[in-house]
Amino acid sequence: MIPFEMVEPKSLKEALALLDPQESTVRAVAGGTALMLMMKAGVFTPTRLVCLHGIESEYARITVSAGELRIGAMATLSELERDANVAARLPVLKRAMRTLSNVRVRNVARVGGALAHGDPHLDLPPVLAALGARVSISGAGGDRELPLEQLYSGYYETVLAKDELITAVKIPAQAARKAAYMKVTARSADDWPALGVAVSFAFADGAIRDPIVVVSAATEKVTRMAAAEKVLHGAAPDDATLARAGDAAAAAAAILTDAHGSAAYKRELLRVYLRRAVREALGDGARPVRQ
Amino acid sequence: MNQVGRDIPRLEVRAKVTGRADYTHNLRLPGMLYGKVFRATVPHGRIRCIETGAARAVPGVQCVVTGEDIRKLIAEPYYGPAFHDQPILALDKVRHVGEPVAVVLASDPHVAEHAAQLIDAEYQELPAVYDEVAAMQPDIVVHDMLKPAGTFADLKHLKGRTGTNIALDFHLRRGDVDAALARAERVIEHTFKTQQCLHLAFEPFVAVADPGDGVLTIHTSNQTPSFVRTEIARLFGWPENRVRVKVPYLGGGFGAKVYVKLEALVSALALLVRRPVKIALTMEEQFYMITKHPTTFRIKSGVGKDGRVVARACEVYWNGGAYADIGPRVTQKSGFTAPGPYDIENINIDSYALYTNRTPAGALRGFGIPQLVWAYESHTDLIARELGIDPIDFRRKNILHQNRPQASGTPMTDAAIAKVLDAIAARLAWNKKLDRGSGTVRRGRGVAIGFKASISPTTSVAIVNVAADGSTTLYTSTVDMGQGSDTAFAQIAAEVLDFKAEDIRIVHPDTDVTPYDMGTLGSRSLFHMGNAVRLAAEDARAKLQALAAQAGLPEGTNYPPAEVFKKRFGMQAGNVIGAASFVPTYKSPDAQTGLSDNVTPFWMVGGAGAEVEVDTETGDVRVLRLVNAVDCGKPINPGVARTQLSGAAIMQLGFTLSEAMQLDAGQVTNASLADYKIPGIRDVPPMENELVEAEQHTGPFGAKGLGESGTFGVSPAIANAIHDAVGVRIMELPITAEVVFRALRAQQGRPLEDA
Ligand SMILES: Cc1cc2nc3c(=O)[nH]c(=O)nc-3n(C[C@H](O)[C@H](O)[C@H](O)COP(=O)(O)OP(=O)(O)OC[C@H]3O[C@@H](n4cnc5c(N)ncnc54)[C@H](O)[C@@H]3O)c2cc1C
Repeated sequence: MIPFEMVEPKSLKEALALLDPQESTVRAVAGGTALMLMMKAGVFTPTRLVCLHGIESEYARITVSAGELRIGAMATLSELERDANVAARLPVLKRAMRTLSNVRVRNVARVGGALAHGDPHLDLPPVLAALGARVSISGAGGDRELPLEQLYSGYYETVLAKDELITAVKIPAQAARKAAYMKVTARSADDWPALGVAVSFAFADGAIRDPIVVVSAATEKVTRMAAAEKVLHGAAPDDATLARAGDAAAAAAAILTDAHGSAAYKRELLRVYLRRAVREALGDGARPVRQ
Repeated sequence: MNQVGRDIPRLEVRAKVTGRADYTHNLRLPGMLYGKVFRATVPHGRIRCIETGAARAVPGVQCVVTGEDIRKLIAEPYYGPAFHDQPILALDKVRHVGEPVAVVLASDPHVAEHAAQLIDAEYQELPAVYDEVAAMQPDIVVHDMLKPAGTFADLKHLKGRTGTNIALDFHLRRGDVDAALARAERVIEHTFKTQQCLHLAFEPFVAVADPGDGVLTIHTSNQTPSFVRTEIARLFGWPENRVRVKVPYLGGGFGAKVYVKLEALVSALALLVRRPVKIALTMEEQFYMITKHPTTFRIKSGVGKDGRVVARACEVYWNGGAYADIGPRVTQKSGFTAPGPYDIENINIDSYALYTNRTPAGALRGFGIPQLVWAYESHTDLIARELGIDPIDFRRKNILHQNRPQASGTPMTDAAIAKVLDAIAARLAWNKKLDRGSGTVRRGRGVAIGFKASISPTTSVAIVNVAADGSTTLYTSTVDMGQGSDTAFAQIAAEVLDFKAEDIRIVHPDTDVTPYDMGTLGSRSLFHMGNAVRLAAEDARAKLQALAAQAGLPEGTNYPPAEVFKKRFGMQAGNVIGAASFVPTYKSPDAQTGLSDNVTPFWMVGGAGAEVEVDTETGDVRVLRLVNAVDCGKPINPGVARTQLSGAAIMQLGFTLSEAMQLDAGQVTNASLADYKIPGIRDVPPMENELVEAEQHTGPFGAKGLGESGTFGVSPAIANAIHDAVGVRIMELPITAEVVFRALRAQQGRPLEDA
């Protein structure tokens, strides 16, 4: 390991000032669980790490106001898992935590790190995207907010500038919306998923309304499946509709072949798991085999 | 108190769970340098040049060493247990991606690592061969000339052979296969394949060499300290007593850490720089050290009207990778069991060890047996189906019974094969109907049995030292890598001497102190070293009795040893040393027929039964229940024996369902635990582990080894269960969900496109 500088700012403002708009070897570190692995593998060699542990504590809080849940970027995944508001309002998020790595990683990894890392195999981005989450971003040039899925521009790539930081993620009130996340591992149970499918929708008078369908892991970035959403909107969740939605998603998603499986196989998984996700959200789904 | 048969916890558990146990990884010596290996990036090529200048210029780098530097120290720097084919660092040619080409030495391991990234090598690339069947043709030759080690008589004829990749061909001829096949009612033939996978001990390879003053000391995580001493002495042209090999606990071995691995390299480096040198591999580097043979097995059987197998022809191709390691032994010692545990009159076996441009392959928990059982038990099931006979009935009809000759001609003495099969059938309630599921979830069940010979002829020596206060120490060169050998030997010695096992101390391998042992491999230790320990303890007991007689005590006295010493020497003084060697008899196979009536000192028997559930929409296979049964004779410690059984089964479960080294133009593309998936805790199915009632009459207190037996049946039992559930047959490992899904789609006549 080549020596580098480690700085510990006491405020967000200070942290932003220590980042460098041009230099990609200067990076923020939150829990370090992703960054350290990249450093060990030699794919990232820092000149300076800006540790976010000392910034104002409000950036680690989970709060509710006017029905909207705000999760500070420095909250750990364990805090998210144990938060009473999350459990009551977003049971899908709590459930997703069960198979998200292990307790040691969850105790140190931060929500901001999980969102900014840009690895399409992670669990939080698809779940939060399906819940309609927006990310709050601060930078030298000011603050901005984006729908979560718009954060991603490619494989391990985000639209964040080198001197921007995620400060929070906000999830609108879900009212009676239903949601589910299916993590499909193709090899061992703790494998990175071959496919992630997250859905949420309102359900009234036997019909699905305003669905959000998100695919992850099989694609190079977390992606909303507009074509499938269109099929589902206003329709009853019967076999034929769900099959058409699955076909629409399979046709639209840019699925890649990799060690978890061929693209052809993952397209079939998408068809099956989109249906299972909707059924799971409705509360009558068969559990996926490996969970 | 009876010490044998007691379920005591392993003696070292407290030290291990409290983090106090000693491992080579923790060792630091004054003045020690760390080595980082620079590895080949091409699968086959002549070395044009190795550019080390940039690495040498890094501040803190002591030096950079290449194969040519080693050649100045050792004229013939090649090692290996069967062939002297492996250079300490690549010379002239590289033969697989990841082969060690140079080493950077520095007192800071991070500096060494950084500098190693700055080395650059140029190669004249050569065409490469990866497949074992393709390697039968001499179009691409991995080694210009074969160099058998000379220690094995049956390899002598290969010396100096050129233009071939066949490191060993083993043939066995019994009866007249052609005639029997011509007469048979049905002839059934299949080809099965297995993948390349690896041991992945959680303690990666590590070794430290201390050049010393006239005596070189090697601290290493290795399963064969005596062999390492002999081989290092041979390389340097020294007497053995100038090499000292010390081995603490191992964090797993599984057959990876047998023979020389890092030891020749650290020794040569330490002598070049006259300082202690340590090399500790990363988890990722393990993918370039030693693996499990991929195989292709063509198996053909002739069956009579009565459902008896009358003839079987086996052709097995073992993909040994770039260096032979112990592959030629696997080819022969496991090869002769290729027809399975069945009583068949007419048998042909042709078994080939092949060089290819892959990471070398060696022994992995079963020494080739799991690859063979995969094929013959899948084949057996398919025959039963084709004949419409229940698979268990079909096996019973053909099974090898007590004392019947196996293919080699050696009788199956103390091999409870039928009992193992019965135990599995009983636990699965085979007579009762299975709930086969409905809709998209289908269930099925399958069984498989296998057996293995012990490597022979081999030697174990043990020393028992009774101190003047009666406390006792045991010296052996068996390596406890988690299998519980320390505990078992303490129980055996304690039983003979009428002590408590927990009170016996075990001295870990140190070739200056502990006597010779062939190696901790092939489940041989409990039988071989166990017998040596029993004999050594008996020797000590006899000497204690002699001492009592000298002290004027009557014969059969029950004076405790401490009192006897005091009476004899007038104070707490003296000691009693019991020692013994154990070497079973052996007859090597006939050069023409491959037959021998004494090919192994004992047989290992293991089998599995599986109930599985297949998700027909995704191909996902869930093992609902895994029953493992073995004949391990009379277990010395039933609790430890059962954990060996479950551990072996879980390991084989990974090789069955998920593990595979993926290769792209010779490059391993998934060399990490993130991309090469071993089973995690949530993949472990409900398991039952049964030790059938049996006795190994020649074993210590009726016992024999079982470290590998739990692997034998797992893969084919699962494939057979999948076939039972959904009617598709998988011929190649691993059985991933996608593989099953594709088979289901092919069965439906709408195969899934490739990409
Ligand atoms: C053994 C193991 C198993 C795992 N299993 C799973 C799993 O099953 N499912 C899953 O989803 N994930 C899994 N992960 C990944 C884990 O979720 C991520 O490593 C973690 O969420 C990253 O968070 P961190 O705080 O440690 O990020 P860090 O490593 O600190 O940072 C990651 C990246 O985000 C950037 N960053 C951090 N915070 C901010 C911020 N506020 N604003 C902008 N950029 C920022 C950093 O600069 C860096 O580029 C696993 C990880 C490990 C080590």
